[in-house]
Amino acid sequence: MVKSQATPVEKAARLLDLVPYISTHQGIALADLATEFGVSQAELLSDLNTLWMCGLPGYTPLELIDLEFESGYVSIRNAEVLQRVRLLTKQELVIILLGLDILYTSLDGSRADLQAAVAKLTDKIKKIVGNIATALPIVDSAHRATIALAIKSRRDLDLVYHSTIRDSVTERSITPLELSLDLGFEVLYAYCQSAQGFRTFRLDNIKSVTLGESSISVPSGEEGSDFQWDILVRSRFRTSAERFRTNFIPRESLESESFVVTSFSQDWLLRSAMCTLASVEVQRPPEARAMIADKCRKTLELYESPALPS
Amino acid sequence: MSRKTERLVNLTIALLATKRYLTKSEIFRTVDGYEGSDDSKERMFERDKDDLRNLGIEIEVGSFDPLFEDEPGYRIKPENYQFQLGEVNAQEITLLSLAAEAWRGASLGSSALTALNKLHAIGIESDTELLLGLAPTVVTEDANLEVAISAITSRTTLSFDYLNEELKAQSRALEPYALTSRYGHWYVLGRDLDRKAIRIFRLDRISGALKLQGRAASFEIPEGVDISAAFSISTDLLTAQIFLRDGRGLNLRNRARQIADATTPVGWQKFEIGYRDHQRFVEELLWYSDDLIVSAPQALRDEIIGHLKSGMVRYG
Repeated sequence: MVKSQATPVEKAARLLDLVPYISTHQGIALADLATEFGVSQAELLSDLNTLWMCGLPGYTPLELIDLEFESGYVSIRNAEVLQRVRLLTKQELVIILLGLDILYTSLDGSRADLQAAVAKLTDKIKKIVGNIATALPIVDSAHRATIALAIKSRRDLDLVYHSTIRDSVTERSITPLELSLDLGFEVLYAYCQSAQGFRTFRLDNIKSVTLGESSISVPSGEEGSDFQWDILVRSRFRTSAERFRTNFIPRESLESESFVVTSFSQDWLLRSAMCTLASVEVQRPPEARAMIADKCRKTLELYESPALPS
Repeated sequence: MSRKTERLVNLTIALLATKRYLTKSEIFRTVDGYEGSDDSKERMFERDKDDLRNLGIEIEVGSFDPLFEDEPGYRIKPENYQFQLGEVNAQEITLLSLAAEAWRGASLGSSALTALNKLHAIGIESDTELLLGLAPTVVTEDANLEVAISAITSRTTLSFDYLNEELKAQSRALEPYALTSRYGHWYVLGRDLDRKAIRIFRLDRISGALKLQGRAASFEIPEGVDISAAFSISTDLLTAQIFLRDGRGLNLRNRARQIADATTPVGWQKFEIGYRDHQRFVEELLWYSDDLIVSAPQALRDEIIGHLKSGMVRYG
């Protein structure tokens, strides 16, 4: 028995899709066919053996689908009825629609012909499924492509980066290490040659990115230690939890909630604490409390300064 | 287990090949795999029809012969079975494939894969030159997205627990109409059955799993649903005037309008800025702390000063 995770229905769908695919790719290697359909070779063989038993009523050799795959290369005959490519399900159309939206925004004006082609396909699909799905990507896909290329070919990158924490746009030279997701946002983990330290960059804050030299060596060793603040939330729980990027769990009733927040950036913690003065109290460490008090005082002084009119 | 698979494929072939409607008794007699009592054949056939429908294969029911009234017949019309986007050229295949590829590794990877299998089966080579320098990617690890899409396409009611501002899970029932991704989050719009109004929900604020509730095709998606319009309320309700320190407040500058004011001190600029959600705006202003001063309205200025003073008391 071949162990398979597909349900009989999913398997049937795959068989129906295998027929037109093999018909247009006669003589394809078993291994290539397995890769295309995302199954193991054993599973594919089980598929082909099942397909072999299928055909038109009567089920004599005249009616059965004729498959040849013992040589390791697959060809098919007598499958005219199933030769048509199957229609895309609504689910498939919706994901393509969303993918096209993302593709559209990643094409710049110099590729107006492609934009027009994407728009035409989008219209075609919307006529079938309705205007039920859109996507506005926040990351420029050309940036992602450049970063992926740099990681693969071990090249450095020159970034123009808008740090919302520092409230400034800076140019940096970095050695990219890994793309990943952080609470739903795409981030690049890298060694920043400019800052001489490991940093995490949000892809949606990258203004421009260009390939640089071959990677300079990245120092091994410890990352900079994280800052850890204890906070107590008294109101606006969901907003505050989202702002401090902590996981939240449902509660029956809530008067206050303690979290431990960690970040490599003390500046980010401080700004987040300032934002939430009305709903969050930072309890520890004392240095954090002193920093917040200092920030409050400096800002208040501005409001009281005669040099600054209202 | 492969008996079922075989039977589904054989049924599809038989119904697709026939030029006329086949009656149930013809199907049971000729299509391989229908065995057992009449009742169990009947049940098998009903389940098979549902399973094929879920694969997007519509079985048409028609009258086999007008003279024999209540003997319904079945067939699959080739035009309802085959790829429905019509003639596509190499460029279009490439774009469609790239759109599906964007989901690789995301929570809808399996639908992306089956879509790609079909696109590639058309047998037109992708134009790889076209792909250079593009890597569109859909970012999501949220398994609820797949459920939301399938609820919209099958028009099935969704039920879920939604976390409110107090982190309390409220159970909701929604007829979902549309979904969108923006600001890095996924949102689903629909009719909230308890509140009897259109509402938008952010997927990552749903606690636990989205559940399908009741039958498919249980509601109609109204004409002219426009989820983008629901997000782009173009009128800013309120405006404020602020001073920003040189080169600071970059995000605010992007959406503010600089105004001339002779009293603006050196090293600062004055801006007019619109906002909608008062509390969020207050928090946003405080993010910039001593790089920003609120000039007007007075009530907003007083509120910021109030927060700063209570901060002094608490932390000072």
